[in-house]
Amino acid sequence: MSETVVKATGVWKVFGDQSDAAIKAIREEGIGKPEVLARFGCVVGVQDATFEVPRGEIFCIMGLSGSGKSTLVRHINRLIEPTAGSIELLGRDVSSLNQADLRALRANHIGMVFQHMALLPHRSVRDNVAYPLEIRGVAKSKRWAVSDHALTLVDLVGYEDRLPKELSGGMQQRVGIARALASDPEVLLMDEPFSALDPLIRMQLQDQFKALVAELQKTTLFITHDLDEAIRIGHRIAIMKDGVIVQIGTPEEIVMNPADDYVREFVQGISKLKLVKAHSILEPLDSYDGNLDGAPRADELADLDQLIDHAVGTDMPVVITSNGEDVGVVTKPRLLRGIQGGKE
Amino acid sequence: MSDNESNASVIAASDIEVDHASLDASITEFAGKNGDYYAKQFHRIHSSTGLLPNTFNLMAAVLGPVWAASRAVWGMFWGFLILEMIAWVQIGRGWWGDPGANFFERAAKQQERAEGFLERAEAARAAGEDPSRFEKLAENIGNAAEKSEALGQAASSEATGILLGGLFLLLLFKILQGLYANSIYEKQFSRWRIDQNATESGVKPKNILLGIVLVVLIGPLTIYKFTVDSPLEVLNEFPEKQVSSVFIDSDKATLFTELASWLEQKIDNAAIAGAGAFDGITAGVRWVLDALGLALIGTPWPVVMLVICVVAWRAAGPRVAIFTAASLAYIALLGYWAIAMETVALVGAAVFICVIIGIPLGIWFGKSRRAYNAAEPVLDLMQTLPAFVYLIPIIAFFGTGNPPGILATIIFGMPPVIRLTSLGVRGVPDSIKEAAVAFGASRFQLLKDVEVPLALPSIMTGVNQTILMCLSMVVIISLIGGGGLGKVILEALQYAAKGPGLLGGFAILFVAMVIDRIVQGAFRRKDQEL
Repeated sequence: MSETVVKATGVWKVFGDQSDAAIKAIREEGIGKPEVLARFGCVVGVQDATFEVPRGEIFCIMGLSGSGKSTLVRHINRLIEPTAGSIELLGRDVSSLNQADLRALRANHIGMVFQHMALLPHRSVRDNVAYPLEIRGVAKSKRWAVSDHALTLVDLVGYEDRLPKELSGGMQQRVGIARALASDPEVLLMDEPFSALDPLIRMQLQDQFKALVAELQKTTLFITHDLDEAIRIGHRIAIMKDGVIVQIGTPEEIVMNPADDYVREFVQGISKLKLVKAHSILEPLDSYDGNLDGAPRADELADLDQLIDHAVGTDMPVVITSNGEDVGVVTKPRLLRGIQGGKE
Repeated sequence: MSDNESNASVIAASDIEVDHASLDASITEFAGKNGDYYAKQFHRIHSSTGLLPNTFNLMAAVLGPVWAASRAVWGMFWGFLILEMIAWVQIGRGWWGDPGANFFERAAKQQERAEGFLERAEAARAAGEDPSRFEKLAENIGNAAEKSEALGQAASSEATGILLGGLFLLLLFKILQGLYANSIYEKQFSRWRIDQNATESGVKPKNILLGIVLVVLIGPLTIYKFTVDSPLEVLNEFPEKQVSSVFIDSDKATLFTELASWLEQKIDNAAIAGAGAFDGITAGVRWVLDALGLALIGTPWPVVMLVICVVAWRAAGPRVAIFTAASLAYIALLGYWAIAMETVALVGAAVFICVIIGIPLGIWFGKSRRAYNAAEPVLDLMQTLPAFVYLIPIIAFFGTGNPPGILATIIFGMPPVIRLTSLGVRGVPDSIKEAAVAFGASRFQLLKDVEVPLALPSIMTGVNQTILMCLSMVVIISLIGGGGLGKVILEALQYAAKGPGLLGGFAILFVAMVIDRIVQGAFRRKDQEL
């Protein structure tokens, strides 16, 4: 894809006084978290995280609680200072900024959404959404206009003058999203925005959010502890465990080729139907001996769900095409294995 | 998702066997010495369902508090040490104490005097005078002596009863200790399982030694003092004069007089040295007070009354407004108007200064844990120190009158607004503060837009508390020359004037209630808005 917006290189966060010694020991001796705590009294938050996010991508960071994902994302706008490593945002080194520039960067280029909404309870919805602009010193009439526009984006017209507590959880989180969008930032940081919501509302918001980001072309770092959510929303997913990024890849890559047992255990329960594309499971044309005349044809980007639709009407395998040319074939056993997740 | 097999299979509750072995190990570790005995006893306690104890610890019964000390059951140690001491004192009184001794002594003295009078009667007879007067006296005193003797006898015969009562009590307490020792120790065991560092376990020589030393120090001395007729003088009263004479080589001076005069001199010096600063503070306070006083007393009374009633109505509703009008009528009709307004001005000035200083301090303490830790003892002191104590240094530094009275009121009234402000600031959720920072808020914007607004309900409660505290000081500051209704009460108190005192008291009550109602009404509406 295009230009890199967020770039993290070798980011470490170790909490404690002897953090430098601890980092050295982890690098050289490869000691684990418990030993770091015992020897240096330090807690490892993030260990050597490196990734790049190009413009317009939704980059999900998935991990269980305590895996360091929230800590990692707070380095992007320097709510947390890294112990080592560097973060570049729009080509600028975040950790070298002075306080005023840092505040300007946060106000102008970064929008953030929080798990617990973190709305100001004494302000109306409109004033909450306008708050980032107010910090920037935008005049009230302009603030309100922008705020009303942001609220239309998240479908909250008519609630501008309500207080946050009068709204349901899902609506409050939409206010949070509108607030993050109000200052028209380049980067959105989403810290488990939908975790506290019930499943139905969560799905609605996920879809709404995905459409919105696609339309506005915002580069997004999306934290979640839910792999389903990561797969639904993310273009790419980074899986974290104990502060380490275990694997980075597209949803399909992660589901088809889990990097280790930890990831594999996560991936097991995920439905592959919409995720796995034909090109991941096809066999070469010449490996199929039989006659392929009249066999159904599908594009290599068709997912398993579509392949099943093709396959149920016939006994023949499905021929896979790329740019109109036949490139491979998917037999029934192959398809069934694909649904299972590529078990041989 | 997970293939982990769970080891626990489902068993009906009635089929679950009690696993003694693992518990035994724990109890043995806890008890240390005699672990097996306690394991057995604790199991009996665990399997009993009744309320009464079903074990008896002979060691605890015999050794009493020393057992409790050796096992570090200090609550039991102190409780039964005191109870056993009561029993021992009874035993001592009955055994070697002589309850009739006082009476016998008196009887002997009276006998002596009677004999003296008889001798004088003899002498009078020899001199040819009338001895009947002396004989009569001797007879009377002799009768008194006999009565004393009888009383002494009766008291002495009670000694056996006291002795037996003491023995009975001692036996009772011993049995109780034996019965409950294991139950109490089992409770300690449960606590020890929760936190092994905070709860002592096992038998430690340190504890045995401490227990024995305490028993030996406390027991004999106390029993001696209670049972012996005329114990050593030094036990009756602290020998402060003798101790003083060790340090100070003088007949008249004691530690107390030396320290007091030293302090007095220091305070005088400080008052002179800081006169400028103290006068400045007094002038500032006086300025606030005069401004308020001018507004309340200088403005025509109908205007002030009207404004107060309207404020009451707007802030707290029609019922409070009617009550306010009635209270104002009472105050005005009894001629308290000017003096009551002086009280309001005093309270108002104190509250104003408290709020002006207290809220910024509270915000600071709310943001800096270290500053709060440093200030907390001072705040505690300001609230717990009885007002009379700091009235003295205030007189020394600021003189008498209304401004020093306001300063005393501030000392008492400021802590709540500081505390509740800092509480409110600390209570602002970190997530909301983080959100504001993430959107680029500066420290000042964070304070102005997030911390103060979110802490506002708590700050308002603090202001309300401060107002009430200041009101309660109104009478006390009249002691150092403060005016207002407090002075009326003080004068009534000095002359024991019941009528004026009560009327003035009600005037204060009404002023306080009106202010309280209005303020609470106003703040309640604020809270509902949020």
